[in-house]
Amino acid sequence: MIRENPNINQWLLTLVEGSVSALNAIKSHKMRSCLTTLGIVIGVCSVIVVASIMEQLTIKINAQIKDLGTDTVTLKAYTTTEQEMLGMVNMLTYQDYQRLKDRTTGVKVMTARMRAFSLGRSVSYGGRSSQTQIIGAESDYQKAIKIFPELGRFLRSEDDERRRRVVFIGSSLAEKLKLPQNPVGEFVQIDSEWFLVIGVAESRGSLFGFDQDNFLFMPLTTAKSILGQDAGQNIDIVYVPNDGVDEIALQDSIKRELRQARSLNADEPDFFEFETAKKTRQQFSEITGAVTLVAMAIVGVSLIVGGIGIMNIMLVSVTERTKEIGIAKALGAKPRYILVQFLLEAIVLAFLGALAGLLLGALIMSAASLVIDSETGFSIPLWSIILSVCFSTAIGIIFGFTPALKASKLNPIDALRFE
Amino acid sequence: MLLSNHSLIELEKIGKHYVLGGNVFHALKDLSLSIKKNEYIAITGPSGSGKSTLMNLLGCLDMPSSGTYSLKGKDVSRLDESTLADIRNREIGFIFQNFNLFTKMSLIDNVIQPLIYRHVPSKERRVRAHEALAKVGLSSKINHFPNEISGGQRQRVAIARALVTKPSLLLGDEPTGNLDSHTTSEIMGLFDDLHKDGQTIVLVTHELDIAAHCHRNIRIVDGEIASDTRKSEY
Repeated sequence: MIRENPNINQWLLTLVEGSVSALNAIKSHKMRSCLTTLGIVIGVCSVIVVASIMEQLTIKINAQIKDLGTDTVTLKAYTTTEQEMLGMVNMLTYQDYQRLKDRTTGVKVMTARMRAFSLGRSVSYGGRSSQTQIIGAESDYQKAIKIFPELGRFLRSEDDERRRRVVFIGSSLAEKLKLPQNPVGEFVQIDSEWFLVIGVAESRGSLFGFDQDNFLFMPLTTAKSILGQDAGQNIDIVYVPNDGVDEIALQDSIKRELRQARSLNADEPDFFEFETAKKTRQQFSEITGAVTLVAMAIVGVSLIVGGIGIMNIMLVSVTERTKEIGIAKALGAKPRYILVQFLLEAIVLAFLGALAGLLLGALIMSAASLVIDSETGFSIPLWSIILSVCFSTAIGIIFGFTPALKASKLNPIDALRFE
Repeated sequence: MLLSNHSLIELEKIGKHYVLGGNVFHALKDLSLSIKKNEYIAITGPSGSGKSTLMNLLGCLDMPSSGTYSLKGKDVSRLDESTLADIRNREIGFIFQNFNLFTKMSLIDNVIQPLIYRHVPSKERRVRAHEALAKVGLSSKINHFPNEISGGQRQRVAIARALVTKPSLLLGDEPTGNLDSHTTSEIMGLFDDLHKDGQTIVLVTHELDIAAHCHRNIRIVDGEIASDTRKSEY
């Protein structure tokens, strides 16, 4: 008597043995298998690369936003499109700021900054000049925004009170102007005025290729007098709420205060808007999310095309192996065995293709991280690995089914006669 | 169930027709036939006589249009493909004219195949396949591939593959059709030995000297049995 495995194990055995024979079939047609699965390889590789880049971007953006201070709220002038079309420009003024500062409770710090409308103003040193972003700020600004001196010091309140002509500069501006190693004590020229350099900020690197170290801070009062006409006296108000304060209620009270200051009617729009780190992060993650989604949809299409490639070759393979199928059937292979065997071949092909794509993607990303200087290095998010492998395998099942069913339904007599 | 006259196969009024381009073609007409255990039978007949159809039916590769076929007392004339596959695996050993080995598998893997379809544990399959290959005198070549051995040896592998499941019926379709006379007599000697060991053998052939080897000759003409003769000593 020939011993047989019990029924319960038969499906499992069919799976295991089917996988082995699928691997053998793939091995015996190496070239064809490679070409068959190329679509999947490229698809998965794209998933990995896109996901990895998006992940890297998100990490970078989040780090940058964190630098701004997670609790910091910035209040900016806001002009509606309608108003813009009427030629109006709304502004936040120093008076608005003082009014708010006097009447707002529940903030750790509230300060103002002034920026030149034109982003670049020329700064010169030793006959060399460079465009930079000039910001007027109070000493409290350092408490709201994380900005640290590498050399020297940040602005102090007496600088502001005495309207001193001192500047705190970004590291790349110092480089561009070819200031000495320690620029503290040097004088730089803006328009016809001379300013004493009192400090240089720690480098923040670049974001999306934008230099984040090209700036110049001067006391707000100084800026008001120098940039006055250019900036139109428009300021931003920056504050940090106290811990445990209801931020919405705080925003509401500020809103009320500012609207009252201008005696706005209920139907008139706000002339300012709030920017929070949370909101900024949300906006960024919405953008990156949308980009990821679009990229993934395109990649999904390429994976489906890859699946069609697998189906085509599997159909050819079924025809090519008709005789083999006939022999197997004559020897007593059940239709379900043939079905599972061919289905497994498609799945194994798709799976191996996914692994190859994974490897290729990882290679591309590690090559990219060598070329592109990145402090954190590239990491491939786990979800993209799981998603792409599962999706590819599912594609193998879906597109492998038709050929497998065709094979399993072949008539044994016709199949045996096939030459 | 114990059969009164030890009948292994009982065909009763088997009919088989095909529809070809609107015309009905009767390949077998009310054919009745009984085969006992350990018989050694040659089925002969001109081409188009229906002997291949008969062989397909005996081998459970096909189902009759009418009549009943009982194998070991079980009616197998109306079964689904999966059950038929199981019966082929357990009860029938096929030997083909052109050997029909799996060309990409080693000899032992070829012989193992039918046992895989039957879910025999892997260790046991190897043991059985070894035994079967030893029986046909190919123990030394188990890891060779079909294209590395002669035609006669290939047919021996096919016989080993047919025997490995210990089938009730060994069914050969022109098993020596592709072999030279020397190899033919070797293979026929092997069939003779198997018959002596108690194996039931049915060979479909058009070669008269093969038929002469067998102890019972059934001649099919136009889908009917034209003659059914036994050698006197059997």
